[in-house]
Amino acid sequence: MFALVDVNNMYVSCERVFKPSLIGRPVVVLSNNDGACIARSNEAKDLGVKMAQPWFEVRHFERTAGLVALSANFELYGDMSSRMMTLVAQYAPRQEVYSIDESFLDFDGVPGDLVTIGREMRAQVLQCTGLPTSVGLGPTKTLAKLANHVAKMAERKPGSYDTRFAQVCHLGDVNTQTLHEVFSATEVGAVWGVGRRMTARLSEGGIRTVLDLVKADVASLRRQFSVVLEKTVLELRGTPCMDVDHEPAAQQQMMCSRSFGSPVTELPGLVEVVSQFASRVAEKARQHEAAAGAVHVFISTSPFRKNDLQHGPSVTVPLVRPSADTRVIVGTAVRAVQGMYRPGFNYAKAGVMLVDLRPQGQQQGELDLFGAAGDECPGAARADPSRLMDALDTLNRRFGRGAVTVASAQHQSRHGQHAGKQQRRSPRYTTRLEEIVTARA
Amino acid sequence: MSSIDAGGPNLVRVGRDPGSNPGSTRASVAIGFGSPSGDTGVTRLDLNDILVRHPQATFLMRITGDAMHELGIDSGDLVLIDRAITPSHGHVVIAVVEEEFVCRQLCKQAEGIRLQATRAGCADILAREGDGFQIWGVVTQVIKTMPV
Repeated sequence: MFALVDVNNMYVSCERVFKPSLIGRPVVVLSNNDGACIARSNEAKDLGVKMAQPWFEVRHFERTAGLVALSANFELYGDMSSRMMTLVAQYAPRQEVYSIDESFLDFDGVPGDLVTIGREMRAQVLQCTGLPTSVGLGPTKTLAKLANHVAKMAERKPGSYDTRFAQVCHLGDVNTQTLHEVFSATEVGAVWGVGRRMTARLSEGGIRTVLDLVKADVASLRRQFSVVLEKTVLELRGTPCMDVDHEPAAQQQMMCSRSFGSPVTELPGLVEVVSQFASRVAEKARQHEAAAGAVHVFISTSPFRKNDLQHGPSVTVPLVRPSADTRVIVGTAVRAVQGMYRPGFNYAKAGVMLVDLRPQGQQQGELDLFGAAGDECPGAARADPSRLMDALDTLNRRFGRGAVTVASAQHQSRHGQHAGKQQRRSPRYTTRLEEIVTARA
Repeated sequence: MSSIDAGGPNLVRVGRDPGSNPGSTRASVAIGFGSPSGDTGVTRLDLNDILVRHPQATFLMRITGDAMHELGIDSGDLVLIDRAITPSHGHVVIAVVEEEFVCRQLCKQAEGIRLQATRAGCADILAREGDGFQIWGVVTQVIKTMPV
């Protein structure tokens, strides 16, 4: 049985832990340069603020509805994410960190009532970190994801679903009739991997609810759409077929993370996997013509193996200039691992995530105050990195992934202050001593 | 805050977390002669191990004001807060009162929760439900800096 655990409105929830005056108010978190809303509190959603909506379009709510807007604080979100991930990893033998605030847990072989375990897990994360989570359970990842959606909506909008599904929902634990009631109450767009465009096309074909999709003919879906949609339907029917490499990517984030087949204890092994992950996310970023403002890296032992010594550090490294350059991303990730690694631990997973993403062209025309390219990549100074990266991607496509890679650990890149404009950023409460909360006595 | 069982949640001991400082290094100490048996070497005592029981639930705050002087907490001190510990009578806690963080001693009485200052003349705070009051976490350690 799978679970999908995620933090409700992650970025806003992190901000609220350290600034209680934000509780109950409409809050949005803005992307780099304070351009668009990348996270919304429920109150902001109720005002009609849409995901990725430009700030200038909703700015009037500041005056009329007390909307609070904050610049993204990725150091804070990265640290809180690491805490939450480590806590939930204790409950299941396998964890797949899917995005900064979501992780799949595989409960295979775990005894006990999973709804009870799910509620305990949720209570523990809330107590230890202050972050509210939702837990969805199901026999496949797609059903767990859907159950998570139901858990969230049942809490946020009473009446949308049975209240017993609020916060923790187990779709592997209900009879067919109930399952079909849930399916028919859910629009097809809520299904993992079904995007807006596909929702529109499905709707033209008369498929509007999840129940319509489940009952549709798989073969014709494959012909009209894709193998992925076919897999999705099979998963909704209870047959697991999404593996880590082919599942839909998380929105707004570029992440590459794996649990290792066998534990890694030595630094060179970790550096190697982290370099691979880093170059894969860098390639992904270039495909989407995006650049990252910061790189989040984590390594972790398995908290589920309670007899193992535990170590699960993570770090969010801001880049001098936003980048999708494999050399910069790999260099940054490798330095992060070198700093975090400690001998004597059985590391079980690692991940590299690009955060604070923005369109790649956005930073062009900026004065090169930091001389970043030259500093970070000796020998590559002043060359246009995009042509090199195009060549690298082409070679990797032709000869297989990893054909051409960066010789790791040669880069001693510096990192300094974030280049982006972040006028409304909250203090980095958990990563900078000068910025911790002050309590009155 | 939701309560788990009385002893707090059953957390794994996650020692020696260097946190998010990628620059931290730690020297190992060679003891005796020859190679140490097994792969568990001996490392220098680490304040993280000594002071932090639940790394995922531990946070730092700085204190301003002297209402808690009699319990050894002064203005400018750093406090460690462990949210995994279920607050109970007598604990020094960080609470949220009128949207601000306040450090007080928790006093559970029949009529409700009272947040007590230790210094005479500092008013106690009576917790009322529904005005955003919450106990944020339990203070487990105080770190003072001596003039040197």
